[in-house]
Amino acid sequence: MSDFWIMAKKEMKNLIRDKKLLFGLIIVPLVLYPAMGKLMQVGLEKAQGETHVAIANFDDGEYGMVLVKTLQNAPNVTVTLINASSVEKALESAAKKNQNVLVVIPRNFSESIRENKPATVELYGIFRSTSTGMKESVSEGRINAVIAVLSEQIARIKIQKLGVTSPDALLHPVRAESMSYLKNKIIPISPSVVSGVLASQSITLPIIVFLMVTITAQMAAGAIAAEKENKTLETLLTLPVKRTTIVASKITGTALMGLIAALAYMIGMRSYLGSLGVQSGISLSDLGLQITPEGMVLFALVIFLTIIFSLSLAMILAIFAQDVQSANTVVSSVILPLAFPAFILMYTGLGELPVEIRYALLADPFTHPIAAYQYMFSGNYTGMLTSIAYLAVLAALTLYTTARIFSTEKVLTAKIGWGRKS
Amino acid sequence: MPAVKVENLEKDYGKVKALKGISFEINEGEIFGLIGPNGAGKSTTLKILSTLLAPTGGRAEIFGHDVVKEAPRIRELISYLPEEAGAYKNLTGREYLEFMAKLYAKNERDATKMIKLGVKLSGLRDRLDDKVSTYSKGMTRKLLLARALMVKPKLAILDEPASGLDIINAYTIRKTIREFARNEGVTFLLSSHNMLEVEFLCHRVALIDSGRIIDIGTPRELKERYDAENLEEVFMRAVGAGGGHYE
Repeated sequence: MSDFWIMAKKEMKNLIRDKKLLFGLIIVPLVLYPAMGKLMQVGLEKAQGETHVAIANFDDGEYGMVLVKTLQNAPNVTVTLINASSVEKALESAAKKNQNVLVVIPRNFSESIRENKPATVELYGIFRSTSTGMKESVSEGRINAVIAVLSEQIARIKIQKLGVTSPDALLHPVRAESMSYLKNKIIPISPSVVSGVLASQSITLPIIVFLMVTITAQMAAGAIAAEKENKTLETLLTLPVKRTTIVASKITGTALMGLIAALAYMIGMRSYLGSLGVQSGISLSDLGLQITPEGMVLFALVIFLTIIFSLSLAMILAIFAQDVQSANTVVSSVILPLAFPAFILMYTGLGELPVEIRYALLADPFTHPIAAYQYMFSGNYTGMLTSIAYLAVLAALTLYTTARIFSTEKVLTAKIGWGRKS
Repeated sequence: MPAVKVENLEKDYGKVKALKGISFEINEGEIFGLIGPNGAGKSTTLKILSTLLAPTGGRAEIFGHDVVKEAPRIRELISYLPEEAGAYKNLTGREYLEFMAKLYAKNERDATKMIKLGVKLSGLRDRLDDKVSTYSKGMTRKLLLARALMVKPKLAILDEPASGLDIINAYTIRKTIREFARNEGVTFLLSSHNMLEVEFLCHRVALIDSGRIIDIGTPRELKERYDAENLEEVFMRAVGAGGGHYE
């Protein structure tokens, strides 16, 4: 086995056995995120289950009874009729019977409808605790839908009585048919659904890139700072191994661990977001956004170069720190402000930004993975190749600087005072 | 050819002059000690010879190779034990020795031999299979010394090998060094501010103070030259420090 692999293997072994790292990077995303998502889902499913509705009917006309019957026939709704002398008494009784919602049909309900006046139905959500009340809001929504159907039905009957043959044309004189136009193609899907699908993609990727960059940078910085903190650096530097091999093995070891962690976060986040969002059932390929193998290779190259840049920058910064904690501080204070501007691309495309802001963003290496992601779907390979060229130059420069610093005594003597005199 | 040849070596840390032009030679197979108080320049000298620091002036050679121009070659010849050193906490003692042996050995057979020697030199037995994070200071130091010696370097550079250890651990470490030097013929350069340790181990010693070498000789020569009973007295007389007197 070459020196490089012996050292990279040691690096990974050392990181994998670090319980704090293992918990933060693998257990949390793989177990806690999906668990949180599952809990939310359970709450939602419970709320979407059977709705218990209490009805207090103070109306003695026919329309009040029609409403009661419609609710009784509505799916997933259990109706309990309450006989009470007042609304307050009805609420007390409904609360006692563990009902979620009380529907009050007032005395003049049928009369108002007969006289062509708007009739009112009162809905009371009954809260038994101060938790989020998801169930109450879902129940209210369901009853509102039932009442909307009933309203329309009553309106239709009334219009028919006036001698109109097609009440639908009078009720809905204008109907909109929503379609989208994307990449020179008409797609029979409404723009809100298309933008929802695009938004979910444009939010997930920046978060994953951001996590990946910060996690790997922190790990690389930690790997160098730990050598100083645990007093192993001097021994390491006197071993018969090239300094470039030491740097390369540390980068490889942490990058591999970083990728495992990023994968864990990706799976965890997807599971969490997936359980929250309502699945539209529409994929990017339904929208005509196909990824070609060439596009995927170029995108992977952009990600790889961004990680190499971020790792070597973190290693340079860590050289100035004396321990893991100060290395994390110094890396966060440099990498986070650099990685943050890329979040603008969650809300807009690069092409839509003013020229100055666009170039300022493109100067930031962490913008390129997200820009490349947009390029990949639009098939803009020139844009991706430009990103690759720019990142390759930056990564080579930072790698060279790291290797240079490692071959001098600065790796031992450089330090930041943090305002204190040593 | 001397094992180590140092000529007018200088080192500045900014305005502080840590070494002000020191010269000495070490013969092959010799145990050579640098003795002096804290801040005298012992560790700086050792770090320059270990290729960790670059000298500001002068030059140093190890077995005819320049420590600055031929640093990678020097690293193949030496083994350095820093004064304050640790091992990778998440590895077991045995894994640490295996990792180091693989970097020095040319093939699997050599690596196995090195590990076997390392296991013997450390004296840690079953504890070698425990994580380094569970070791006491003395155990870690024994593991590190075993690591430094198991590769049978041409020159072993040991900075305060038994510093901060209790009597039993310090004695074991000194004994290991002496026996290893006798059996393997390895050249040793060690630093210490423990004069008894140096007298016990070294064939020749250099007295160093404030970045300058004051005198060099065998412990016996130095004691005779300064009419002293031990190296401690030699050092005090050599630097001209009488100190307080109480009777």
